[in-house]
Amino acid sequence: MRAEWINPFLFSLANTFETVLGCRLQRGSLKLRDDSRASHEVSGIIGLSGEIAGMAVLSLSRSLALKAASTMLMAEIQEINDDVIDAVGELTNIVAGAAKSDLGPYELSIGLPSVITGPNHCVRFPSDVTPIVAPYQSEWGPLTLEVGLAAKKASV
Amino acid sequence: MSLNVLIADDSSTMRKIIVRSLLSLGANGLTEAGDGEQAVAHFKAGQFDLVLTDWNMPHKSGLEVVKEIRADNAHVPIIMITTEAEKSRVVEALQAGVTDYLIKPFTAETLKEKLGKYGL
Repeated sequence: MRAEWINPFLFSLANTFETVLGCRLQRGSLKLRDDSRASHEVSGIIGLSGEIAGMAVLSLSRSLALKAASTMLMAEIQEINDDVIDAVGELTNIVAGAAKSDLGPYELSIGLPSVITGPNHCVRFPSDVTPIVAPYQSEWGPLTLEVGLAAKKASV
Repeated sequence: MSLNVLIADDSSTMRKIIVRSLLSLGANGLTEAGDGEQAVAHFKAGQFDLVLTDWNMPHKSGLEVVKEIRADNAHVPIIMITTEAEKSRVVEALQAGVTDYLIKPFTAETLKEKLGKYGL
């Protein structure tokens, strides 16, 4: 996992939250992932493939997920429902898609996002990647971005 | 104003955001599609003044949707609304027949400005 691979995701996350939600994020220290449990209650997951491959996970606290969906839909949403799940999936899609564009030489494709909800759910990365974890705070609650990518193995 | 618009995106959130902007601009003949196959089916069954489509969708990509629409209709404006920002992808979309391109993420103002160029 190279630092140059995560920077586009960090930029894309901040840009997406500011552009779409008007929400500024404060980033904490990056660290290596040491736990399969997702950091927060609502996780958007998206696969990437190409010359490098792996996964990105955007894990939002309940309060942030509700506020993000409420803002995007201009409605007061008070429970994790299909609208919130779709909104988190779309945010994950936008963050990964914009990062992918900045990783042009690696000819990446992204999959369709999945969303998992519930406290203490687990998200496992492929075994050949060591994800980097970027924790964030916002006025609406915390979130975590996790990115794990590895170079494509040469064919035998 | 009676403007028939087809909106294709697998995200219901994105469709709602686009619909909201279209309604605020006075459009009232709105049809939504949640995947590429639905989009093509709706297009063939109706008459549209504008098509807005995502690129990455289940069953059929937005690029394939554009190609199928253009096989029958050379004139309807088609705006691709997508995260695909690489120059090569934009060129690919334009060569397929896309009229205009909007890269996610975008603000509501940017979306309205883009839509305003197409009779809204």
